Amino acid sequence: MNRIEERLQKLKSEQKKAFITYMTAGLPDFEQTKAIIRTQESAGTDIIELGVPFSDPVADGPVIQNASYRAICQGVTLQGVLDMMGELRSEGVNIPIVFMMYYNTVLHYGVEKFVNACITAGVDGLIIPDLPKEEQDEIRKYLDTQEQAPILIQLVSPVSKERIPEIVKDARGFIYCVSSMGVTGQASSFHRTIVEYLESVKEASKIPVMMGFGICTAADLEPMKHTIDGAIVGSHFIRLMEEHNYDLDAVRDYCETFKRELNQ
Amino acid sequence: MNNKAYYGAFGGQYVAESLMNTLQEVDEAFEKYTKDPEFLHEVDYYLKQYVGRETPLYYAKRLSEAYGTRIYLKREDLNHTGAHKINNVIGQILLAKRMGKTKVIAETGAGQHGVATATGAALFNMECTVYMGAEDIKRQALNVMRMEMLGAKVESVTSGSNTLKDATNEAIRTWAKTAEDTFYIIGSAVGPYPYPKMVKYFQSVISKEAKRQILETEGKLPDVVMACVGGGSNSIGMFADFIEDKEVKLIGVEAAGKGIETGEHASAMALGQPGVLHGMRSYLLQDEAGNVQLAHSISAGLDYPGVGPEHAYLKDSGRVEYVAIEDDEAMDALMELCKLEGIIPAIESAHALAYAKKQAKKMNMEQSMILCLSGRGDKDVNTISDYLAGKGYLN
Repeated sequence: MNRIEERLQKLKSEQKKAFITYMTAGLPDFEQTKAIIRTQESAGTDIIELGVPFSDPVADGPVIQNASYRAICQGVTLQGVLDMMGELRSEGVNIPIVFMMYYNTVLHYGVEKFVNACITAGVDGLIIPDLPKEEQDEIRKYLDTQEQAPILIQLVSPVSKERIPEIVKDARGFIYCVSSMGVTGQASSFHRTIVEYLESVKEASKIPVMMGFGICTAADLEPMKHTIDGAIVGSHFIRLMEEHNYDLDAVRDYCETFKRELNQ
Repeated sequence: MNNKAYYGAFGGQYVAESLMNTLQEVDEAFEKYTKDPEFLHEVDYYLKQYVGRETPLYYAKRLSEAYGTRIYLKREDLNHTGAHKINNVIGQILLAKRMGKTKVIAETGAGQHGVATATGAALFNMECTVYMGAEDIKRQALNVMRMEMLGAKVESVTSGSNTLKDATNEAIRTWAKTAEDTFYIIGSAVGPYPYPKMVKYFQSVISKEAKRQILETEGKLPDVVMACVGGGSNSIGMFADFIEDKEVKLIGVEAAGKGIETGEHASAMALGQPGVLHGMRSYLLQDEAGNVQLAHSISAGLDYPGVGPEHAYLKDSGRVEYVAIEDDEAMDALMELCKLEGIIPAIESAHALAYAKKQAKKMNMEQSMILCLSGRGDKDVNTISDYLAGKGYLN
């Protein structure tokens, strides 16, 4: 069974909510990225979104753009991230990991070759923000025909409205609800009808619904805590790590606290 | 897959989910209003009375004699604001108004599309923000001044390479957040569907006029039609009405910068590698890791790493031949046009002129060629002067 689905099923049976983080791969270097992933695994993070850097991250705000840019300057490539993934799995790291990346990176690597490499490296899911439902046929040809292939996580936005049923129809893993309009890392000025929107997604979806974009602490989730099945923290987590110079204790402390408060 | 969004294997809608409904609204409005006589009449009215269309198809006699074939220049440089960009801005901004939008945003490299958008926004009383790379703001101070005089806000973009592609990224990000009241006016034949279709539609006035004009003067179709290609807006407009006329040879001229082999160029199609950028799948300059590579050209308007998806299709189908011209060749052709015809062309257009000289060697005085003179060179005088100083051209 896919690691994401396995984890989410466990959380469901324990009636717990999922805590998901985003981090750019290769910062400050691959060794520390691996250490941060291990730390998060033991601190209770449920799923890690690992950002594969791209030169033109149009769905990301300034924090992740800068992280992505620095990673590229340091020579981080898709192949490098795949190699690191393979190492982590062979070292016994079992936390579900999702690649967050842009479609050009996939296309350039070769779609079929990429899917096969993900299987080999133990990648559990993919988030490709510039690949809406209409453009997914090409990659799904390879994802849907292989048991071990990563899950393509589906995103919905507050303006998706009548598109929601079609998007969630055969979605697997979880639904990624973009909470505010636009790009990652915006201040917590959640879209005005956010709770209504989350409820509509929740109603349409058979699988867990996670909220991302603009979340810093578990307290931010108070208004919608009962609606969602978990939360994704990206820009704030990156900023926090930068401020603490990628210190593992700071990572552990933040993840443990968030996870605990989310489930209080 | 949305088949109508594709030109063969190119095009599509590679955007965030949050923009998909917006794109559909834009497409529906475009389809509706381009069948509405009142809307079309309004576009025509402004193109005639405000932009100054139609533009002449000028027989360049001395140039023709020097190059050895009958050369007609489609004078888009005579449009208000100095280039073809305004044709599309008028169309898209009137569409935005019909859709009830109150704000427009645009990206700009050299500033021509930014100036055209700021102009249209002033004319139709809309709030306008133009995204421009910090690097380009330094290089194009005069156009920044123009936009500000016209009431637009110029937003300096300091991400990635600080140039056109980053300005476009920033415009897309803003749009994704504000699409409810904001219309994104894309200036080139790029972006997610329906943008390439819309830009072609509004720019095809160039070839509609040119075809009628050449039939009036020559009594037959031209042998060759050519235009420069950055993202590809003037060229798709120049080609549009000739695509079905198979006997007309169509040539698109990209910027080869310092030479394709140096890696410092803007010729997305020369290397023929498909990719995804700015919501479309097309030919794209990229490095070994699949990151988008910086384009280089002395002409800021051609300095773009991608190309419109319909051009990618026209290349693959063989209907259009795409070639590339280096900085030096373009600058020589620019100076030649100044001296032979008393016209200072934009450096972009000079790329087409430079290839016209080569193409004309295979032609004779019985044959004819239309060349899109997409813009005037006033905006380029600083660049030209730096270039000449560096090269010692006038010595």
